Amino acid sequence: MPEPLLKIRDLHVGYGKKPILRGATYDVLPGECLTLLGANGSGKSTSLNAVCGFVTPTSGSVLFDGTETAGLPPHKIFGHGIAQVSQARDLFPDLTVEDNLRLGAMRRGGKALSQTLAHVYDRFPRLAERRRQATRTLSGGEQQMVAIGRAMMSGPRLLLLDEPSGGLSPQFCEEIALIIDALKAEGVTLLMVEQNLNLAFRAADRFIVLRDGAVVDGGDVRAMAGDHDAIVRNIYL
Amino acid sequence: MSQTKMPSARQRRLRSWLFWAVPAVLLLLPLATNPYTQFIANGILISVLVTLGFTLVIGNLGQLAFANTAFFGIGAYASAILAAKLGVPWLLTIPLAGAFGALGGFLASSAALRGIRSYYLAIITLAFGELMRWAYLHAKPVTGGTDGMPMPRETLLGTSLSDDTLKFYIFLAVTVLLVKATLNLMRSRFGRAVMAVRENEVATASLAIPTARVILVTFMWSGFVVGCAGALFARHVGHVFPESFGMLHLIASFAMVLVGGLGSVLGAVLGAVLLTALPEYLRAFPGMEELFFGLIVAGVLVAMPMGLASLLRRVSPIFVERFYREAP
Repeated sequence: MPEPLLKIRDLHVGYGKKPILRGATYDVLPGECLTLLGANGSGKSTSLNAVCGFVTPTSGSVLFDGTETAGLPPHKIFGHGIAQVSQARDLFPDLTVEDNLRLGAMRRGGKALSQTLAHVYDRFPRLAERRRQATRTLSGGEQQMVAIGRAMMSGPRLLLLDEPSGGLSPQFCEEIALIIDALKAEGVTLLMVEQNLNLAFRAADRFIVLRDGAVVDGGDVRAMAGDHDAIVRNIYL
Repeated sequence: MSQTKMPSARQRRLRSWLFWAVPAVLLLLPLATNPYTQFIANGILISVLVTLGFTLVIGNLGQLAFANTAFFGIGAYASAILAAKLGVPWLLTIPLAGAFGALGGFLASSAALRGIRSYYLAIITLAFGELMRWAYLHAKPVTGGTDGMPMPRETLLGTSLSDDTLKFYIFLAVTVLLVKATLNLMRSRFGRAVMAVRENEVATASLAIPTARVILVTFMWSGFVVGCAGALFARHVGHVFPESFGMLHLIASFAMVLVGGLGSVLGAVLGAVLLTALPEYLRAFPGMEELFFGLIVAGVLVAMPMGLASLLRRVSPIFVERFYREAP
């Protein structure tokens, strides 16, 4: 078993007095795609937000490649190589596609930046066609490409995807799965929240199930082949 | 709305040629003016800088900060005090007044950096401007109080600095330099970050872009530009009074920003030229001046909510500025 890239230990996060994560503990292995499953309010998105620093854990530890990142501000965590594509995508709607992408690599520059940019355009030829277009004029799927492309511009080692299929057409789900495959092939580790079980099991290597802020189940996706019913029961019942 | 067209490479070359052609033609302007119109032309150049600094903060950075007139007063008083009390040559006081203006920008940004936003930032920066005016009035030993500060007589290359043609050439050089520097700054990676802060500050911060530094530098550059304009103004009128830096000046510059086009360098120039020149032409209609002025401003804004610059953008993509986007 390789050393985990991300180790989450006994993580507690709450909003005000309402606890969301209550002692979640799990690992993300290098190069894998781990999917978080669970009912609404079980702490999936909160997990991602705690890892990237959008919320500060009340206790527990988030160890990224040996560095403790719990409590660091988002831009410091981003600097360590963790990028999040949030559910809202958080694009800059009036700026062009290319400006959005370049903003993802503000901290880098010169040759590395133009190489990564060319690479993102290779991956998403649609974005290359629309590079000079204001991002708000793109379709939902294209905007999701911009959001993933912008996260890629920083050359992250861990990519957090919050509901990549949210609000998108079923055809686009397969496209998302292909994107995830390609990212894994490049050695990017992914931690994903996904309500669409077909996509979750098509793209992920492992899954864990959260309930009331703690891990109650988990396993290898291949071992569960075909038996989604058991998992759905575990998530919602 | 229709998609903003981007200028082609050829149009961009034409644009940079055009940028220098305008001041080159203006070099000939003193041949066509009388002393009165020359004085107006000088005032227009000052308005261009004041509007430019203002639009950077409220248009490009998207912060509702109204400290612009404070920067202007700080620059004017800095220039007058340095020249009259310390004998610094006026030309040298221009960058120094800019530095004091930048210091004012630093103070104004400290409110924004403490998370004060929108109407709250507006009211606190308005208070800053009024506080500065109170200081000009009451720090009599330094500022001359209600008597103001006269500018000392000076000559440059044998010509008196009260000569409006000489002033025009100096004002023109300073204005072109600062407009060009601002255009370059807003075209850079920094300019992209400024627009990103306007669009979504939280998302910008999450991309490890130091938003606090972006806000701080934009305020300080705005203060620098307007502070330099203050030094020009001190020489322009020859005597600095506190009442030049009140609400009326602020509202006039705000109108210039909006009539020209919020967040556009080109718009700052157009708005300043139109609204500084217009009142002078309207003097031909005594008693009706304010009425006509108000009607023209309202007319422009109804016909072109994005200002005069949007009209030119529709004519040719040459006038589309990098990162500038019209709101949908």
